[in-house]
Amino acid sequence: MEAPADEGAVPARGRGWDRRRTIAAIAGGVLVAGVIALLVIGLVNRDVGTSIQDALDEGERPDAPAFTAPVLLAADGIGPVGSDVSLADLSGRTVVLNFWASWCEPCESEAPILNEVARRYRGRDASVVVLGLDVQDLSEKALAFARDFGISYPSLREAGDAAYRDYQLTGLPETFVIDPEGRIALKVVGEVTDPTQLTTAIDQL
Amino acid sequence: MRRAAAILALLLLAVVPATAGALTVNEVAREVRCPTCNTPLDVSSSPAAADMKQYIAERIDRGWDKQRIIDGLVAEFGEGVLATPAKSGFDLVAWLVPGLAVLAGIVAIGILAWTWSRRRAAATPAAPPPPTAEEARRLDDELRRLG
Repeated sequence: MEAPADEGAVPARGRGWDRRRTIAAIAGGVLVAGVIALLVIGLVNRDVGTSIQDALDEGERPDAPAFTAPVLLAADGIGPVGSDVSLADLSGRTVVLNFWASWCEPCESEAPILNEVARRYRGRDASVVVLGLDVQDLSEKALAFARDFGISYPSLREAGDAAYRDYQLTGLPETFVIDPEGRIALKVVGEVTDPTQLTTAIDQL
Repeated sequence: MRRAAAILALLLLAVVPATAGALTVNEVAREVRCPTCNTPLDVSSSPAAADMKQYIAERIDRGWDKQRIIDGLVAEFGEGVLATPAKSGFDLVAWLVPGLAVLAGIVAIGILAWTWSRRRAAATPAAPPPPTAEEARRLDDELRRLG
């Protein structure tokens, strides 16, 4: 009588063990599949929203990333100080978007050039606005910079680095000409050394 | 008793200068990172880092405490300026996950060790069954013949 009972017990334990191993194998499989899926998604999406520079080089006009930031310097109908302004608020106008910071030396030498571009369009054509975007900066330093270099055009200030990242900046300054449809028509990496770098592109829009 | 008092005095000497000293720029700087170089501010030397250190030094002179200065820098640069993630909201995940991972590892090792030890016990061959009456009789016969 005992022997059949023993024979019955052994396969029962075996079945339990098999079930555990199956569950462990499935769990392990799911984990490995998950990691592989993440890697594949990462690889596939790496080139989504490709480089702005690449698109411009191919003659395309990539959409300008949206942003919203508070006004640091109010001018040309953009303000008051502290109010939020987004790129969408300026749709229908050509925007010369200049990323700057008070500690950035080339920003000092391009400030008069941007002032000149702003002055050129301010009087005759309100459909073009020069807009600064102060990033990675202390507001008190930024305000002192604006005073010292007589910045006449409006500027926003971003506390985080979302716009810096979205516009794929590699340093400061960088300037973008955004057409009235909100697409990037021109990107200037580094200092703008001559107003015509911007005005030629603006006048062609 | 005198020895204990001396040890206590030495311990106090060791602790007091660290806590009673005035707040230094580096004490605050190591809590935040330089936004342009992505390194802790105390080891950064970029122009932006210099501005931030000056901001900290000026606030220390005004008598601000460490947390107030850090809060001021967060207001200027956003949460991303903190060298370590905040211990609240979603950022709490960054603090909890490593601990939970270690805990899960310990539990997994425990379960594996328990499973292996059970398997080894099960695999140990059982003692041979006692000889039947017939086998015992034959064994005795053999032994008698040999003896």
